[in-house]
Amino acid sequence: MLPVIEVSHLTRMYGPRAAVKDLSFTVEDGQIYGLLGPNGAGKSTIMNILTGYLAATSGTVTVCGHPLPEEADAARACVGYLPETPPLYPEMTVEEYLRFAAALKGVRRAGRKAQVEKAARRTGLTGVMPRLIRNLSKGYRQRVGIAQALLGSPQVIILDEPTVGLDPAQVIEMRRLIQELGKSHTVILSSHILSEVQAVCTRILILSHGQLAACGDLASLTAGHSSLEEVFLELTGGEDGAPDAGEEDAT
Amino acid sequence: MTAIFVREVRSAFSGMMGWLLTAFLTAASGLYFMANNLGFGLTDFGYYTLYQTSFVLLVYVPVLAMRSLAGERHARTDQLLLTSPVPVWGIVLGKYFAMCAVFALPCLADAAMILALRALGCTNTALAANFASLLGYYLLGCAAIALCEWISGLTENQIVAAVLGFAALLLAFLMPSLRSLFTAGSAMALVAFTLLAAAAAVLAGLRSRSLTLGCILFAVLAAGISALFLFRGGWLTGAFSGVLEALCLFAPFEKFVNGSFSVPAVVYYLSAAGLFLFFTAQGIEKRRWV
Repeated sequence: MLPVIEVSHLTRMYGPRAAVKDLSFTVEDGQIYGLLGPNGAGKSTIMNILTGYLAATSGTVTVCGHPLPEEADAARACVGYLPETPPLYPEMTVEEYLRFAAALKGVRRAGRKAQVEKAARRTGLTGVMPRLIRNLSKGYRQRVGIAQALLGSPQVIILDEPTVGLDPAQVIEMRRLIQELGKSHTVILSSHILSEVQAVCTRILILSHGQLAACGDLASLTAGHSSLEEVFLELTGGEDGAPDAGEEDAT
Repeated sequence: MTAIFVREVRSAFSGMMGWLLTAFLTAASGLYFMANNLGFGLTDFGYYTLYQTSFVLLVYVPVLAMRSLAGERHARTDQLLLTSPVPVWGIVLGKYFAMCAVFALPCLADAAMILALRALGCTNTALAANFASLLGYYLLGCAAIALCEWISGLTENQIVAAVLGFAALLLAFLMPSLRSLFTAGSAMALVAFTLLAAAAAVLAGLRSRSLTLGCILFAVLAAGISALFLFRGGWLTGAFSGVLEALCLFAPFEKFVNGSFSVPAVVYYLSAAGLFLFFTAQGIEKRRWV
């Protein structure tokens, strides 16, 4: 079966600094991938490149059979993305925003209402549909962001730190949702919380300094070690916020 | 694109901004209409109201357009737009048409004022001239909006976008007077074009990260300009004069006000708008690579 995403020798430079260097990996259908790495490892950069927000400096990226940047628009139609900061318009209501996002993703007018309702139901937003986004709590805003990523039924769903800011009950809800999504979509999520990645992901990619330190399923990665944490610290050298690893935000 | 258009128009009027701007421009036109057209009984709406209030656009347009792209970058909502299947030109045009639609509202109020003049007994020729002036005014506004949308795309800070937009429109507004300072001779033209060549060379050098390329480009351009100065001085002055004339955004509007329907003016405004929208789209695409 063809991989859903193929990344080959991906490099992304910010001026003289390489945020991602010669990265190659594939993403198979029906799996939930966890992207792990310390701050500045290049996780958000990779996600921004996969979703077409940034262009790669060199290397090839193919999403759902569409090479970026030649078929960028078709590739973007196959991906639902929740960035680090959910891209919300505070002056809109939840319903208006989701309808707008559905229209952006090319959902036909006839099917928009149904899709919006379904996404809202899956993320527990049915009760807050008429509320202004500016009046919502962080947890609910996060949910709106995830609901937006589900619209259009994309084949790939990319979530950048989906459970940040959620309370424990919501975190469990989110895990359940991600596992449910994993049955019918390919999910890639990035996280700092190793326990979460362990609980939800079927495959793990560990990044360090813009390069792939490890790739595989949980069992094979932790073979010979006591925990994922140990593997992680060993592969990433235990640095956290090393001075030259500051990741430049994609602005 | 339609979704973006609808969203932008709704958003302008969900807060205070859309209402405030429309009220502001309508009040300005209305004031001049009342004092000149009604007070003095003058039927020429184009000259006495629209032309006299065209300076208000210097404030109205930058404030209208400042949020369009700068606001999206600041709030990070550009990630939603740029990772959707909507092409960049769709985003730029959706926002542009929305702003043109908001600008159409005070223009509709102006149309009502023109019809009021008709009801008060102005001739049909005057009516046609008034509507032609209004069309020229609307096209002027649309070209200015395209300029300010481009400027908004250059920065993340809305205030900077507004101030730069005001500065650019002010330059265009004053350009007819400034031009007379420059018709001294081809020496001035030489200096100006050399400066432009230097700027182009610096940009090219920075983009390609090559000092050699920048220097070579400057040398070639400077040689060409000097040759023109020495052998065809007239061309240089003519070209310079032409460039300055193209920068006078407000000048073609005067043709409409003077009672003629000028097709070249319409073409000028449409191409100016198209040019700035093209630059806007290019600027957004370029940022993916930086």
